[in-house]
Amino acid sequence: MSQSIKRRSFLKGSLAATTAIAIPMQAMAADKVKMGVLLPSPEADVGWSRTLMEGVRSVQEAYGDALEVTVLENIAEGPDADRIANGLVGEGHDVLLLGSFGYQNGGIQIAKRRRDVSIIHASGFMVEPNFAPFTAKYWQGTYLMGMAAASLTKTKKLGCVGAFAIPELITSINSFMLGARSVDPEIEITVVWVNSWFDPASEQEAAKALISQDVDVIFSNAQDTPSVIAVAEEAGVYAWNLNSSMKSYATKKYLGVVGTDWGPHFKRLVDGHVAGDFKGDNYWLGMEDDIVYTADWNPDIPADMQAKINARQAEIKGGTFDVFKGPLIDQSGTERVADGVVMTDGEILSMDWHVAGVISPLPS
Amino acid sequence: MSALEFLLAGTLAAALPLLLAALGEMVVEKTGLLNLGLEGMMALGAAIAFICVYHSGSHSFGFLAASLAGATLAMLFAFLVIFLKANEVASGLAVGVLGLGLSALFGKNYESLTISGLSEFGLPALSKIPVIGPALFTQDIVVWLAITGTMVLWYILNKTKLGLIIAAVGENVEAARAIGYPVGGIRCAAVAFGGGMCGLAGAYASTVYTPLWADGMIAGRGWIALALVVFGTWQTGRVAFGAVLFGVLSLGELTAQAIGVAIPSQVLSSLPYFVTILMLVAISRHRRHSS
Repeated sequence: MSQSIKRRSFLKGSLAATTAIAIPMQAMAADKVKMGVLLPSPEADVGWSRTLMEGVRSVQEAYGDALEVTVLENIAEGPDADRIANGLVGEGHDVLLLGSFGYQNGGIQIAKRRRDVSIIHASGFMVEPNFAPFTAKYWQGTYLMGMAAASLTKTKKLGCVGAFAIPELITSINSFMLGARSVDPEIEITVVWVNSWFDPASEQEAAKALISQDVDVIFSNAQDTPSVIAVAEEAGVYAWNLNSSMKSYATKKYLGVVGTDWGPHFKRLVDGHVAGDFKGDNYWLGMEDDIVYTADWNPDIPADMQAKINARQAEIKGGTFDVFKGPLIDQSGTERVADGVVMTDGEILSMDWHVAGVISPLPS
Repeated sequence: MSALEFLLAGTLAAALPLLLAALGEMVVEKTGLLNLGLEGMMALGAAIAFICVYHSGSHSFGFLAASLAGATLAMLFAFLVIFLKANEVASGLAVGVLGLGLSALFGKNYESLTISGLSEFGLPALSKIPVIGPALFTQDIVVWLAITGTMVLWYILNKTKLGLIIAAVGENVEAARAIGYPVGGIRCAAVAFGGGMCGLAGAYASTVYTPLWADGMIAGRGWIALALVVFGTWQTGRVAFGAVLFGVLSLGELTAQAIGVAIPSQVLSSLPYFVTILMLVAISRHRRHSS
């Protein structure tokens, strides 16, 4: 075929085509929501991206055909992500879920330019009327893990393999310590920072190094792979993690999981978008919002301790027990929070010190 | 298990992926080429090996497939550089990025699955030595094979005609051509060998060392292996020493934290890289003085 399309007739044709498509699109827009999801890592059997996608799927189930979801995995943070997010909006997606901190700046720009697009963003701090970050209060659950660990440790040495020493991870460790010491005040925690979000080999070696120091319960703090959990099972020490259960990798020694279920939160926000009252706010969600939960408790935990843990969980959920309530002493023995004083959300969000009992120095 | 035993037991395994990849690249560089695609060839080997072992349960099959995958990808580099005369830095980087992409593609459905590693066994007599024996001389079979292989490679490069031919191609290509050696063919073979070794290194990482597949699990070790070749001044023994030293330092960093040494962890994490830089400086100073 050697027929050439004249530019003018081509333009005419395409104009006609777009209007033809646009009319039914507008008619549909009222009842159909298009949601775009950007994930920082591939969706695996476990881990962060998986947890987010489970939340998205529960919204999808509730909406059925009225919600169309486009998922893009393994998107590097930075200009590439900004370009892709813009592309999604250009294709008519009116709800965006940006699944990583580093998508924040690009997301904010879209939010400012397109007030009709609602954006849900993971673990950031910037807020716009149509831009809502969310973070989990993991520490509510890690306190309970501390109680469980204290009832099972024989050496009174607990360990933690951490990614980077940032407040979110530090509060989880501090709360783990406070929970453990609420049962046995002699317990200590050693922390090994891998200084990488993703290096299964180093995570595994860090766990082995802790085990060589007689640590018998390990907290795998913010790792997306089951490397730490698998090593612990092999060595016969207890281990637990955040976000999604890794029990299948450690059938005997899995202590439990502090999980997150983002479904209810995503659903509320999408509902808000549909109703036209999406509320941009910094959502800091915990057990009281049905976002943070605990599951897969190890049956080795003594029954009376399990009962205490359940009771404490009910108190945290009911708001009658505060984990970060004074007196709180730091590593050097200085009192940081006075007796009876409860730390504010802002103080917890920027916590840069370890409570007494965490023996590893905090990287400065 | 004490901290010392942990170090002794873990060092060789931590060093092995670096050792294999670095020795392969050393042979490539000895023939006068530079393949920067180590990271990608290792990642591809890791993904292929994991998939094969996951389905067949046979580690030998996984290692074989991984070495073939690494060699195949390396042949693409050889084709670009030797036959098409493309720029070797750009070609190496391109092949590396391609390898990373392919590993992510093939490994997509195997993300975070696990398999069982290889059992370890002790060398007779040596593993009976008190304290260090059980830790140092109880390793998996790949470690023993790699140590043997390193010695064989040293022998070939230093004591055989083949070793001299490789050196001739790398050091004086005109002379090698004049004598009538098939320079292109020898370089191709060396590149394929290097790719195969990277494939094996990846296979060890994903099926024995940390028996799981996760996209990006090589985590920069290909680049460290590349630096180790220079660090070892293209000599088998020194490259092997460098790999072991790097293994000790990377484990020592974690051990120091676990025993509670009051040094910031970032300083400890950067220690292996810092020592590499120091060694490179020391080597170049030494050369300047001796020349």
